[in-house]
Amino acid sequence: MLKKEGDFQKRLLATFKVEAQEHVNTISSGLIELEKEAAIVEDSGAVRKKGEEIIETIFREAHSLKGAARAVNMAGIETICQSLESVFAALKRSKVALSPELFDILHKVVDFLSKLLSAAGTGQGAEERLRISELTRDLESVSKGGPPLHEQEESKNEEQETPLETIPEVRQPSNEDADSRTSTEERPALMDTVRISATKLDSVLLQAEELVSAKLAAGQRAADLRETGILLHAWEKEWSRISPHVRTVQRSFDREKKRKGEGKSDLPTGRILDFLEWNAGFFKSLEARFAVQEKSAEENRRLLNGMVDSLLDDMKKALMLPFSSLLEVFPRFVRELSRDQGKDVEMVIEGGDIEVDRRILEEMKDPLIHLVRNCIDHGVETPSERERRKKPPRGTVTIAIAPKNGSKVEILIADDGTGIDAEKVKSAALKSGVISQEEVRKLNEQEVLALIFQSGVSTSPIITDLSGRGIGLAIVREKVGKLGGVVNVETHQDVGTTFKITLPMTLARFRGVVVRLGENLYVLPTTSVDRVMRVDKEDIKTVENRETISVDGQAVSLVRLGNVLALGTKKVGRSDPDKVPVVILGSAEKRIAFQVDEVLDEEEVLVKSLGRQLSRVRNVASATVLGSGKVVPILNVPDLLKSAVSVPPTRAAATEEVETKKKSILVAEDSITARTLLKNILEVAGYDVTTAVDGLDAFTILKMGNYTMVVSDVDMPRMNGFDLTAKIRAEKKFAELPVVLVTALESREDRERGIEAGANAYIVKSSFDQSNLLEVIRRLV
Amino acid sequence: MDWNEVHRRMELAQASLGHTVDPTPGEKKRILKERAKVLAQEPKVEEQECIEVVEFLLAYERYGVVSSYVREVYPLRDLTPVPCTPPFVLGIVNVRGQIISVIDIKKFFDIPEKGLTDLNKVIIIQPDSLSAETPMTSVSGPIGILADVILGVHSVALSQLQPSLPTLTGIREEYLMGVTTERVVILDARKLLSDKKIIVHEKEE
Repeated sequence: MLKKEGDFQKRLLATFKVEAQEHVNTISSGLIELEKEAAIVEDSGAVRKKGEEIIETIFREAHSLKGAARAVNMAGIETICQSLESVFAALKRSKVALSPELFDILHKVVDFLSKLLSAAGTGQGAEERLRISELTRDLESVSKGGPPLHEQEESKNEEQETPLETIPEVRQPSNEDADSRTSTEERPALMDTVRISATKLDSVLLQAEELVSAKLAAGQRAADLRETGILLHAWEKEWSRISPHVRTVQRSFDREKKRKGEGKSDLPTGRILDFLEWNAGFFKSLEARFAVQEKSAEENRRLLNGMVDSLLDDMKKALMLPFSSLLEVFPRFVRELSRDQGKDVEMVIEGGDIEVDRRILEEMKDPLIHLVRNCIDHGVETPSERERRKKPPRGTVTIAIAPKNGSKVEILIADDGTGIDAEKVKSAALKSGVISQEEVRKLNEQEVLALIFQSGVSTSPIITDLSGRGIGLAIVREKVGKLGGVVNVETHQDVGTTFKITLPMTLARFRGVVVRLGENLYVLPTTSVDRVMRVDKEDIKTVENRETISVDGQAVSLVRLGNVLALGTKKVGRSDPDKVPVVILGSAEKRIAFQVDEVLDEEEVLVKSLGRQLSRVRNVASATVLGSGKVVPILNVPDLLKSAVSVPPTRAAATEEVETKKKSILVAEDSITARTLLKNILEVAGYDVTTAVDGLDAFTILKMGNYTMVVSDVDMPRMNGFDLTAKIRAEKKFAELPVVLVTALESREDRERGIEAGANAYIVKSSFDQSNLLEVIRRLV
Repeated sequence: MDWNEVHRRMELAQASLGHTVDPTPGEKKRILKERAKVLAQEPKVEEQECIEVVEFLLAYERYGVVSSYVREVYPLRDLTPVPCTPPFVLGIVNVRGQIISVIDIKKFFDIPEKGLTDLNKVIIIQPDSLSAETPMTSVSGPIGILADVILGVHSVALSQLQPSLPTLTGIREEYLMGVTTERVVILDARKLLSDKKIIVHEKEE
């Protein structure tokens, strides 16, 4: 009982925090808005009206927050809201004037509120209680038109204490819904929106995406039926060819029957002829029924296709949120940050109503904060400095969002500050060692600027908590790249710097080249594939012991993708011995050719994250699920290009020779992991391994290929290991083929049964170890 | 012998005997009420000390995970290996559209490989949604743990748990909640999920 109640309280508190944070955010953006309005000197009716509206909104928000706090027993927040309410009540009645001091105290109150919310505490601690009563008294005082009581001594403490602590709080907007965030603009009618938790929505989306495999399966079924129908046509053709003969036989039989008299109709010939007649009729009706089924399968497929596609489309739209839901915390963030640095910065947001996929917004939060912080930290100058350069004292940081080419959005983050000094970037890059002296000399201006995205390059002379460590921009580039976007920078001395990010609007599918290495598939994003080609073996020449090929008369180094991914050099499956399939990645000077076993296809793929446990894997960016339902890693091309350089040179000829001498072993095992393990052990030991999923599968494969040995599990569906062994022994050409049974069955009876069936060795799984198995195999082959 | 004294004591004993044997009606009621009170109390002590555990077999040894951390058990059908990951990461699987990484705790704990097993099940663990501390401290999302056979859900009394065995040292002990009397090794899922060692995060050079 107690535990349940505790859980309920916890959940209630969590819900409250989400709700409360929204109220606080709205109040906070309302304050910023109000401050702007108040700064407008002209006293037109419109301005006054807008101001009144904002005051009304804040008043209502404070009131709701108070109620919510009371429900969960957060007395501290309740008290503050009470006072906040009375201040805005006074403002409504125009009893108090909007003064800068008033705004300062109000902002302080909002800061404190969100601090209370983000801390696990309830506002009941002694220190918190003291602060609450101070703030409350301040508020009471200003609401009566007096000065804030604690302003003087507080302001000093504030300066040291708030800046760094408040930043994490600023980063806490819940992107869960957009509806309640537009309170300073027009509020939509109440029932138009519902609030739904993001996890629920995500789960629905994932399931909708899974329907794609149902769609593909329906397509496959329809195609299978069509093929079977064609087989039936073959029967019909054959029948129409043979039926005249059947009729001739029938006629001569009838004549015979008449001649010999009745009563002989149950002669074998007569019965066969009767059967043939029935058979033809039966097949005809089967064919007709089949045609109906084929047609309805095709209809099903078409229906499912349309439904799934439109569902996915709508689902994607349901996940779109306006940028404003992300950006509304920025004005306050900028205000605080610039105040801390003694700068005066105005934040301008354009195109906040443009919608993109919620998951993209979430990913973009940190990069945007980094960039805006950069603008204020490195870009905008102090007011005195600006005045010396004949600029308005107040700097501007702009975030502008605009749609681009239908499916993309462009985000501009611009400041009107000093701009980036290319020389400084050069020396910083040299100092950090990411580039050498002579390399720097070759770069043009744009390429020099691109260096700022390198990890470890910072032009800031001092490292602060805010920036200067030089990793911020590297993270920005990585995040944007992960989302399938690009980031550029443009700068002009003394005019300002603009970062331009181009992103897809939805986490839509992108095109990828599917390649095969051994038995595994990998996807390479088409945008980074320069070209796919087949190279003659003779055209591979070594330079400094490294293989190269010639592309358009240019030498391009060739590496094996398997080596870069540290997968080993083995090759599986048929491939043209004279031609080598390669994929050329990168662009211009930085092209590298990657040898693969096969280039299969170009497919549209949906990017899926590898999950938090695999937060960053070298060479692998993410994963996707192909149309066949197979999970395939998507490779990280910038990583590949880097890794390729450090791969030791390979000598193609030596490995090739070994391959031809390999003995081939067929492994039958129904458990995928045991199968993979066996395969690995045997391959490492130098055998060529083919796998089968059960006895029947193994027997079919065995008949088609040429194997020197079979290693089989006993307990398998369809055909078990004993039956498989017996079946192998029954065939004359397999009489001498060694069979090793590897099994979980330990009893003596089972062992005897295995030997009886004709197995050459019987290995019990619980006592299995590699050397044991390999020893047995070596003795047998 | 002081008979007077003996008589006096006997009388005293008699009086006290009569008193307890035959309490006044008011006294009787009080005693009964008290007893009822004691009986009416919930026997909460035993209940709270139990944990529910999903038990599974891995390489012929029995392990358990507290069930509130288990999201689901999923049959292992198709495992895609991910290159350039540490050996304990076996690969990734698609669970209703979500990619989940599958780890081999034997390799993670450096337990020597013993025998060949049918790793046919994936136990997907994730932070306990109700517990207050986990959402903050856990660093990894859902993770799949490989298992041979699922043995079922059992209740284990906390008092039965032995903290660890002196011979089990090093990396294993940190992730151990304890060993039951049946010698089932109970893993600490919260530790597993919140440990940075399990996260694969290669820095860009």
